[in-house]
Amino acid sequence: MQHINDRAIAPGTFIPEPDDDRIICRCEEVTKGEIRRAVHEGMYTITEIRRYLRTGMGLCQGQTCARLVKGIVAKELGISPAELIPATSRAPMRPVEMKVLAKEEGRHV
Amino acid sequence: MKRYDLIVVGAGPSGLSAAIEGAKRGLQVVVFDENEKPGGQLFKQIHKFFGSKEHKAKIRGFVIGEQLLKEASELGVKVVLNATVTGLYMDKELVVKIADTIYHYKGDAILIATGAAENMVTFEGWTLPGVIGAGAAQTMMNLHGVKPGNRILMLGSGNVGLVVSFQLLQCGCEVAALVDAAPRVGGYGVHAAKVARCGVPFYLSHTIVKAEGEECVTGVTIAEVDKKFQFIPGTEKHFDVDTICLAVGLSPMSQLLKIAGCEMEDNPKRGGQVPICNEYGETSIKGIFVAGDVSGVEEASSAMIEGRIAGIAAAQYLGYIGIEELEEKFEENKAALEGLRQGMFAPENRGKLIERTEEGIPVSMNLLTKGYIAEDEIERYPGVTHRAGIHPVMECSQNIPCNPCQDACPRHCIQIGSHITSLPVVDESAQCVGCGLCVAACSGQAIFLVQEDYEPGYGTVTIPYEFLPLPQKGEKGYGLDRSGQRVCEAQVMEVKTAKTFDHTNLLTIRVPVDMVGKARFYRKIF
Repeated sequence: MQHINDRAIAPGTFIPEPDDDRIICRCEEVTKGEIRRAVHEGMYTITEIRRYLRTGMGLCQGQTCARLVKGIVAKELGISPAELIPATSRAPMRPVEMKVLAKEEGRHV
Repeated sequence: MKRYDLIVVGAGPSGLSAAIEGAKRGLQVVVFDENEKPGGQLFKQIHKFFGSKEHKAKIRGFVIGEQLLKEASELGVKVVLNATVTGLYMDKELVVKIADTIYHYKGDAILIATGAAENMVTFEGWTLPGVIGAGAAQTMMNLHGVKPGNRILMLGSGNVGLVVSFQLLQCGCEVAALVDAAPRVGGYGVHAAKVARCGVPFYLSHTIVKAEGEECVTGVTIAEVDKKFQFIPGTEKHFDVDTICLAVGLSPMSQLLKIAGCEMEDNPKRGGQVPICNEYGETSIKGIFVAGDVSGVEEASSAMIEGRIAGIAAAQYLGYIGIEELEEKFEENKAALEGLRQGMFAPENRGKLIERTEEGIPVSMNLLTKGYIAEDEIERYPGVTHRAGIHPVMECSQNIPCNPCQDACPRHCIQIGSHITSLPVVDESAQCVGCGLCVAACSGQAIFLVQEDYEPGYGTVTIPYEFLPLPQKGEKGYGLDRSGQRVCEAQVMEVKTAKTFDHTNLLTIRVPVDMVGKARFYRKIF
């Protein structure tokens, strides 16, 4: 599947929807309306949305909302979710406290 | 930094199977799992598995888990729990968090078997306490012995939604409704039938409008949807529930593979982001393998076979065995895998409406929309016969790869034949002795023993029964039909429990003779 990263897509004017206040990313408390609005503000990729709104950046690392956010952004752009460039995966894959990251085997803090 | 021949991430069915095959061939293997208990989802599966003997059919999931763990430990596989792999770097270096310390490991080969995570859907009130995933409900019930709620609504009619609904009933919860936006039941008909005959109503082409409650869930409203999944006004239905359980599919947890730089694809048929891999489960990076749900959501039985293949392939990659052994074992395992991927629920049939069985018999549409086979549909199936004396009635109506019933009968009354998805037929020449081994062996609880001429005016029905407390002999209650409606008075004639039945008890009830074809469940008079 070809990934779409066409900056020329015009998502049209933002039209409020009745469920815009519904929370999508629970960890960072980001609503559907905020995600939709971000698309209209020029955030067309999941990476941009994540940096802009912090969706999927909380405790669960997007385990719950990644798919939901993708669906909302794709719908707003009028494309299928599979056409969106997927988000980057980075270590640590699970949240790790800084004091643990600093405590490596054989080296004591 | 510690080095291992093979590092497996995830101690579920595929990871353990791969570790076993690797260790058998002389590899030094370690398995990391972030959970406090090994086995992945297997230890939550208290139902009997489908398939044939080679797929461990009619064995309960958690027992399969125990068997795999025992085999792995006997072969010297080290299973490290509470160990979270947080990164997979160049040259197969892994960073693992164990307790409050970070450890570095290097694997000459790596197998990622991290499984899948549950999907969610949103609706008004979906963040209220009391809205949980079906997997969470299973964890609470089957690992921790906690009742998830008293009155529950299940969203999702796939096998997970159906199996968990039945487990909720076993746990003593009331299941108020089983709801799915799809127009047809997604999971096995036999799983649906055992939920429906307990009286759970099915609402297909319906979904949740909102969860109600201030502090936590106190109710739910559902409504019918049209073909475009839009709510149809005026079709709202309300239920007082304290828990809403979501079973709406799984997504592969493939992040580690992406971190490692494996080539990925977005494949909706496999459940989302999956690595591109060859037939042995090897990714675009040589020596990094995958098996199980992480490479495409399927089920535990196929995950175990994929794990075996990947474990053997890792042994070949490291030079412990030759290519001939890999190819030979691959062919064996491939045959087993293909056996599981046949029939109406084969991956290529997903979402399709199949109107006839392989035998050409029309599929029960009532089963697909209401969860049970209707009165005027049941006689079509070859397992449903009438004769003098006690005999099995097999309400198996879909072609699924499963055949324990055929081996269970000591008199060879039941035949499926060499084609594993065929519907079971009764051999009229063989004499049933009423031992009930077939009733207990059927993973779908779809076999009943019927005797129409028990005494004048009365017959008996023997049903598989997996609820506690067990009814007492002589006790009086009601016979429930396939839809869970009371249809007659019933008296318990016998309750048989045996080790070979593996916790499926056989309950024989006496019912009026015109009800032997209808009564399929029993409930005590309170």
